Amino acid sequence: MVRFESPGVNTPSTTPRQPGPARAEQTRAEHSGRDLESLLIRVARGDHAAFEAVYDRLTGPVYGLVRKVLRDPAQSEEIAQEVLLEVWRTASRFDAARGSAAAWVMTIAHRRAVDRVRSETSSARRELKVLPGPVSGDDVAELVETALDRQRVRRCLGTLTPLQAESIKLAYYGGYTYPQVAELLGVALGTVKTRIRDGLIRMRDCMEVTW
Amino acid sequence: MSAQRHEMHLLTGSYALDALPDAERAAFRKHLAQCAPCADEVRGLRETAARLAMATAIESPTEMRARVLAAAPLTRQLPPPGRVPLALAGQRGGRAARSRLSRPSQAGIAAILALAAAVVFLLITQVTTRQELRQSQSASQAIAAVLAAPDARIEMMPATVGGSVTAVLSVREHEAVVTTAGLPAPAGSRSYQLWVMSPTGARSAGLLPASHAGSTSPVLAVAVEPGDRLGITVEPAGGTAQPTTTPVVVMPVPVVE
Repeated sequence: MVRFESPGVNTPSTTPRQPGPARAEQTRAEHSGRDLESLLIRVARGDHAAFEAVYDRLTGPVYGLVRKVLRDPAQSEEIAQEVLLEVWRTASRFDAARGSAAAWVMTIAHRRAVDRVRSETSSARRELKVLPGPVSGDDVAELVETALDRQRVRRCLGTLTPLQAESIKLAYYGGYTYPQVAELLGVALGTVKTRIRDGLIRMRDCMEVTW
Repeated sequence: MSAQRHEMHLLTGSYALDALPDAERAAFRKHLAQCAPCADEVRGLRETAARLAMATAIESPTEMRARVLAAAPLTRQLPPPGRVPLALAGQRGGRAARSRLSRPSQAGIAAILALAAAVVFLLITQVTTRQELRQSQSASQAIAAVLAAPDARIEMMPATVGGSVTAVLSVREHEAVVTTAGLPAPAGSRSYQLWVMSPTGARSAGLLPASHAGSTSPVLAVAVEPGDRLGITVEPAGGTAQPTTTPVVVMPVPVVE
């Protein structure tokens, strides 16, 4: 039975602490790729240090993705922290045989953001703020950091037809359903369905996703 | 039939991007269970979507880190799916009372985050005098100690007057941290007072501070023993030595371990 007798092990960071660039750098290098999976397995056993490492590694993409969909910083922060706490709470449900840790977390994050967007009250709020323009073509490029990921995504989005790329961006980054995407782009439902799928498959092959 | 299946298969992409309307999503999930190639494809497309997600990384708010890391120890984790043997469930039986308290619902998670936020806020609040600083620091440290206690558990209860009361209890530390949300402001100059009630009588744990945006910042109750109860009453300004009104909430301190 795992117990945390030593306060040193279990003390949560209630005091604001410096993330420390050197430390973050090290964490990133150490825990790239597969290591995230083993960290999540430790999180499922209640390991706080592992959760801290997972937090540091995924807080940027979680917050970035939620923010991209919701736009509103306050709402995004609220959802992002719920997502990260949900990772702690449900870590035992992560199954490495069924996908990567990053995909597992990002699926939770995207779902939560989309749920918020589609709940009635916030959709009214959001339409006021966001509807004036669909996601612009430069949206991916406008974000800085994790330059390599971003570069690769941009490059691969560039290999799609404009309709494929636009459909995927509106659906994923915009949080729209495919009928909404069809309406925004003025094309038939069936067309959007196939463009999203074909485009994603092409993205998968272009980025050499191995699942 | 096969045309219909084909139609379904086209939805893998939209499903992986959470772009299906609810009804279609439900239908597709049913289909997924019987369509191995679809499930495979969804898996790969979800990984692809995750790459799109990773590319959006931006710096998250720094305060978020302290809040989330403080909330984690207060949040009970789910057991592994399906493989929890009864024996293990029995082993946890001794803490059955606790699991009721500490398994957070969605609302629970929000409450824990609110509590963690209140503590973090307290820790970083600007104070004006050295004396205030010392007091605030020692109160914050005491509260942080309860939140960090390995046996800390959270209990929430609705108040009779509306709103709810949240307590983080540590039997080991003999302390409890109490916050409230949505309690109506007491009439006139009256205020809420927190009591530790034992078989031998009630002892004041202090007045609840005026609420900010519906919530009160945490108040620490010390020398709390299992079997005691935490109560909140409405009292005249400045508080009283003994409760004079019916409590708006009475929260038992569970006897465990």
